[in-house]
Amino acid sequence: MKRLNPSLVAGGVIVGVIVLMALVSFVWTPYDATLVTPASRLLKPSWSHWFGTDKFGRDVLSQIMVGSRTTLFVGVVAVGVAAVIGVPLGILAAMVRRWSSEVIMRANDLLLAFPALLLAIMFGAVFGASTLTAMVAIGIASVPGFARVIRSGALQVMRTEYVLAARAAGRRPWPIAVRHVLPNVTSLITVQASVSFAIAVLAEAALSFLGYGTPPPTPSWGRMLQESQEFLFSAPRLAIFPGVAIAIAVLGFNLLGDGLRDRFDPKLEDRR
Amino acid sequence: MKSSFRIRAVAFVATAAVLALTACSAGSSTSGSSGSSPGGDQKLSIGLVAEPASLDFTTTDGAAIPQLLLGNVYETLVKQDDSGKIVPSLAKSWTVSADRKTYTFDLVDTAKFTNGKPFTANDAVFSINRVKTAWTISLKAAMDVVSQAKALSPTQLQVTLAKPSNDWLFRMTTRIGAMFSESGVSALATDPVGTGPFKFSKWNRGDSIVMVRNDDYWGTKPFFQQITLKYFKDATALNNALLTSTINVIGTVQAPEALSQFTSNTKYQVIEGTTNGEVLLSFNNSRPVFKDIRTRQAIRMAIDHKALLDTCFAGRGKLIGSMVPPTDPWYEDLTGIAPYDLAKAKSLLQASGAAGKTLRLRLPTLPYATSCGQVVKSMLEQAGLKVQIDQLEFPAAWLTTVFKNADYDMSIIAHVEPRDLGAVFNAKYYTRYDDPTLQGYLAAADAGDEAAQVDNMKKAARRLSEQAAGDWLFLLPNLVVADKNIKGLPQNAITESFDLSKLAR
Repeated sequence: MKRLNPSLVAGGVIVGVIVLMALVSFVWTPYDATLVTPASRLLKPSWSHWFGTDKFGRDVLSQIMVGSRTTLFVGVVAVGVAAVIGVPLGILAAMVRRWSSEVIMRANDLLLAFPALLLAIMFGAVFGASTLTAMVAIGIASVPGFARVIRSGALQVMRTEYVLAARAAGRRPWPIAVRHVLPNVTSLITVQASVSFAIAVLAEAALSFLGYGTPPPTPSWGRMLQESQEFLFSAPRLAIFPGVAIAIAVLGFNLLGDGLRDRFDPKLEDRR
Repeated sequence: MKSSFRIRAVAFVATAAVLALTACSAGSSTSGSSGSSPGGDQKLSIGLVAEPASLDFTTTDGAAIPQLLLGNVYETLVKQDDSGKIVPSLAKSWTVSADRKTYTFDLVDTAKFTNGKPFTANDAVFSINRVKTAWTISLKAAMDVVSQAKALSPTQLQVTLAKPSNDWLFRMTTRIGAMFSESGVSALATDPVGTGPFKFSKWNRGDSIVMVRNDDYWGTKPFFQQITLKYFKDATALNNALLTSTINVIGTVQAPEALSQFTSNTKYQVIEGTTNGEVLLSFNNSRPVFKDIRTRQAIRMAIDHKALLDTCFAGRGKLIGSMVPPTDPWYEDLTGIAPYDLAKAKSLLQASGAAGKTLRLRLPTLPYATSCGQVVKSMLEQAGLKVQIDQLEFPAAWLTTVFKNADYDMSIIAHVEPRDLGAVFNAKYYTRYDDPTLQGYLAAADAGDEAAQVDNMKKAARRLSEQAAGDWLFLLPNLVVADKNIKGLPQNAITESFDLSKLAR
């Protein structure tokens, strides 16, 4: 019987709770997360408001719940963008001639050298601050990670006997990529996706904090942190709750990525 | 073993990243006060929020430019004192003809521009004429009433108006009245040349503007040899900059909730006064949805102004109900014209057919606008409207999209120009408010005697409020926080200028 992988379990549970919280927020939150109620502003945590209320009188727990949607949405789309561009690029780089591969990978390195947050801020300045801009920018910034990892995996697959056989049998490159290479790098894609997801969550929070991400009043953990700055002395809980939420989410996705890597990495097989 | 180490490492990285995020609020610059020794080479650093888009207020709108340059680099013939009274500046005295159409100014003969040229009546003629020929901002219309400006001698200027105007002399205290040198207007956007107590020195874009004392100034020389104006986009960073001695003065507090950290600390002084800054929820009156007065009135009635002020500006500021601050002679409390009445707002929206419609609220990235915008959205949605918030980078994107192209339904901005009722509410301005009755009151106020001016301006303010041409959320307070030993800070901010020359230590 295989030993349970603690990273995988812990990561899976944390991510599961966040996904569940986001799903529940579509049908139920304790209060309307965007409803301003001046009479209830800056209430301390109590039975009626577990995490208290912010300066607009909005329930912090409801905002954390709805904010998880933004977090997951940004993560999914950003990772989706990165995977859709990065995976084909990686496979292509592994299959084409040496000089074409070099061109792809050096262009990839160029993008890798560009700070992701700066890229996102540039996008925000040009196209206007929005969740969509943040998602696309974070996604593009995550492309190099995918391309590099997938290329290395694809290169190994390209040297396997079944691919050599397929090529000898006259299979064209496209079917080889789809039928042989892609299925064999799926585990790499999964691991890279979960790691990139954690980065995307943190990047979205940073962008919203800086005013280049999700515009108000849509709840976002990063913007909740930003709005809490005025109250760091008088009501520090307003910074603590979203801060802890971000930390837990990032931790969850990192642990999940770690666990998945352990599970899929053949070199670690003997340790399991 | 390895796995638990990995968990700890990942947890550490995640926590460190969040802590780094939360720490991002601190101010970053290190320049500032030069020490405590008294004397003429002392330096001061002032924190402000809105950086100018350019240094040329003849072609670029925005209050940040005159706030920086007027009275400090450029001077006017006459200026307002702290009580709002018009007093001499570059003009020692002036007389007005019996028909109230001819003004004769006696000018000081010792003033010099920072390019070395002496200030004469010819410069005044050039400056007045240039408003009509070279200025492009809408405020230049205040000079249309001038039919002729003539230099009677190097120190005597005569200005003839086409008709009597109460407003003209007052406008001469604003940026319209700034005196330029004919040989000093070639690079206004980057190299302003004036007669004032300070000279422009350096602009680190996105960060600060440095002014140095004009040692050849004709009047009383300022105390500080150098004053740095540092611009902060983030209200908390501005507060933190004072707490960490990066700056000595917060020119305008934008995070009033955090004011208690200064009031409870004996190292600082807190000044609270009044301003001209009407925070306006502006309507694009050219849009079909705003053509119906019931929609406009409903929006005003849907907003609980007291709750809004408490929520987005910590209850500081004043509710005014129209476009007149309490320091103007024709101020009346008009908050009773559109009292908070959610049920009536709902029925008005139903009657006008606006219920359920989506309005685009395009906000500048200014702290008070972002805060108030969220409250406005929530309150209007309770009345049955849908509100979509867009944030536009201030000043560039907001000035182009909202101010210049009027591509918006509603916006929020503080109008800090003095006596700006007529300038803000007309068909050419971004409010696109075309109201002949209002224009009639304004014309009568301008042409009549002092009593007629007050009477007609009151009617104009009431008309605006009754017609719900916009909604006046509140009047910004003048909240200044500074090191305890800084003197000469303004109690009220009722002019366009932040007077640096009176500051001392």
